Amino acid sequence: MRKKVCIFLVFLMVFSTLLASCATKKKTTEKKETKKEKETKEATGTPYLIGVILSLTGDYSSLGVPEKNVIEMEVDKFNKEGGVNGHPVEVTIEDDGTDATKAVTAATKLIEQDKVMAIVGTSGTGQTMAIRGEIEKAQIPNVSLAGGNAISEPVNKWVFQVPWPNGVVVPKTLDYLKKKKITKIGLLYDSGGFGVDGQKVLEQKVGEYDIEIVASESYGKDDTDMTVQLTKIKGEGAEAVVVWGAGKAPSIIAKNMDQLGMDIPYIGSHGIARKEFVDGAGDSAEGVVFAAGKIIVPDAYGKGTEAFELADEYIQDYTDQYGEEPNGTFPAHAYDGIHIVFDALKRLDKLPDKVDPKELRDAIEKTKGLILTGGSFTYSATDHFGTKPTDLVMIEVKDGKFEEIE
Amino acid sequence: MQLSQIIQFVISGLTAGSVYGFTALGFTIIFNATGIINFAQGEFVMLGGLISVYFYQSLKFPLFPACLAAIVVVMIIGGLFERLAIYPRRNSSVITLIIITIGGSIFIKGSTMRILGEDPMALPAFSGGKSIAFLGAAIQPQAIWVAFVTLAAVILLRIFYQHTILGKAMKASADNREAAKIVGINVSRLTLYSFAFSAAIGAIGGVVVTPMIMAVFDMGGMIGLKGFAAAILGGLGNPIGSVLGGLLLGVLESLSVGIISSGYKDAISLLVLLSVLFIRPSGLFGLARGERT
Repeated sequence: MRKKVCIFLVFLMVFSTLLASCATKKKTTEKKETKKEKETKEATGTPYLIGVILSLTGDYSSLGVPEKNVIEMEVDKFNKEGGVNGHPVEVTIEDDGTDATKAVTAATKLIEQDKVMAIVGTSGTGQTMAIRGEIEKAQIPNVSLAGGNAISEPVNKWVFQVPWPNGVVVPKTLDYLKKKKITKIGLLYDSGGFGVDGQKVLEQKVGEYDIEIVASESYGKDDTDMTVQLTKIKGEGAEAVVVWGAGKAPSIIAKNMDQLGMDIPYIGSHGIARKEFVDGAGDSAEGVVFAAGKIIVPDAYGKGTEAFELADEYIQDYTDQYGEEPNGTFPAHAYDGIHIVFDALKRLDKLPDKVDPKELRDAIEKTKGLILTGGSFTYSATDHFGTKPTDLVMIEVKDGKFEEIE
Repeated sequence: MQLSQIIQFVISGLTAGSVYGFTALGFTIIFNATGIINFAQGEFVMLGGLISVYFYQSLKFPLFPACLAAIVVVMIIGGLFERLAIYPRRNSSVITLIIITIGGSIFIKGSTMRILGEDPMALPAFSGGKSIAFLGAAIQPQAIWVAFVTLAAVILLRIFYQHTILGKAMKASADNREAAKIVGINVSRLTLYSFAFSAAIGAIGGVVVTPMIMAVFDMGGMIGLKGFAAAILGGLGNPIGSVLGGLLLGVLESLSVGIISSGYKDAISLLVLLSVLFIRPSGLFGLARGERT
């Protein structure tokens, strides 16, 4: 009898935890159903199939889930407005679990089973690099939502980048440091893909701005204390600490710096452009400066400009549909990514039932001055970054909020 | 390398080391009572941290009640874990039970991610104020709290094991389960207590260190592993050894980051674990033990 009760209790426990997590799942399945209904009302042509790979679980899930929300929201809207000449766009979203191997599996499935004409994603640099082989084999375009420099340098004809890569953010940041007459910096970078990528670009470019890296230390993204590395940097006479990473470690670094009584400036990467950075660092976040897109300080677009209206509408739509404002820059990348595809589809000469992915790729590469949240996107055969340092602004944390500074 | 830098490294190491020490204490308590290694120990530390933040931020409890409530909740979770996962299989081999704890840790981690989310969360420091200068290095006030709580835990545990019936009974049942039953010790009840107890200890460690390092759903894995290495280093089964092992491990880690390179940080704990197992398996302060069946 006891044994049966125990087994029953275990099942109850497992079941109730599944229920607790199902609460979020239900919402998205409902949306899928209403989306299909709307598609048959408005756009009625053969749907164009786009694959999407995002990190819905795993380390990057806090990026992936909002990205999914945005894509679904925008695809709905696009189809309601008639799609591309009557053809609706249908997205199939796969989860890569923030894992490169799973990303490749997802890509293979989308290409071979769903026969998509393009893939938007992934949320992370490692995963984007991993699916490159499949993309090239299938010869379909990939619009990546990840920020690693290696994604578009050197240029791969099939892969286009949406977030400002380190190759664009670093020059903006170094420019700011030069204006502040800082010549010696200590670098503290995440030993994962994003951090190492940033470190490489920084090492490459510092010379152009008459800046010297006097100390260079790495940390693991799950590390909980960086006082040792900071102590070493302090000892080398750095005039500012440049931190390149994302996740929780940058917040801890801010606290560590206060702890050690280091009052030199903390210059971060665009990886900290989320409110979790401020929440985690608390008072230590005050005065932290980093370069990022205008989407987190929308006034920077300039009130009344096309960019401002677009960003405002995106933020408003998201808030109306999901009950909270989109957090940080990452969901906005998803907005930009899917709109780049929409825009390219609209510019195709012919719109047959089955679009040739090669033509779609060519159309994407011809994107010129497309105003989206990340800036004005222009691609070319030699530039798959899309954005420029002028699309970024320097942001400082003041009173726990992000403010644009000059 | 200046002296003040080395002192800073040592201080950082001692702070990190206390988390390992608390985790190691948890391993030791369960090992002492049951002879099994509970690989879900790291998750108890994580739960202590995350649940206290939940009480403080979402339910708006004041700070100390939030922490105490979290410790109690984790203690109950530890007890439930024992009853539902360990007790039904109590007559299985040690290896089977160890694997069950590994499965349990994966379940706890996954459910926590679903229920409390994946974002890291922090508690405010227990007392405010700037860092205290010490021989050219800086000590956070929170680190003093950590040291204080660790010391209190060690003293209380020693008293418990040496001077209370329950403590002695726990040691007896680990030594020889059958003999303990013969003298009237309720061994299965003891197992329950030891899990609840060690969950509470882990949670205390998690709570007191969250203001410094932030809690996140997947922090349990590394902490569990390093806590285990610390327990082995100090001698599995010896509470004081566990804490000392933790502190020593923390300092070794810190010094290697400071003097060699930051890349090897996590490797150090594993290196230590392997070295101890090869050279002196009973650890620094453990008693050389005979075969365990």
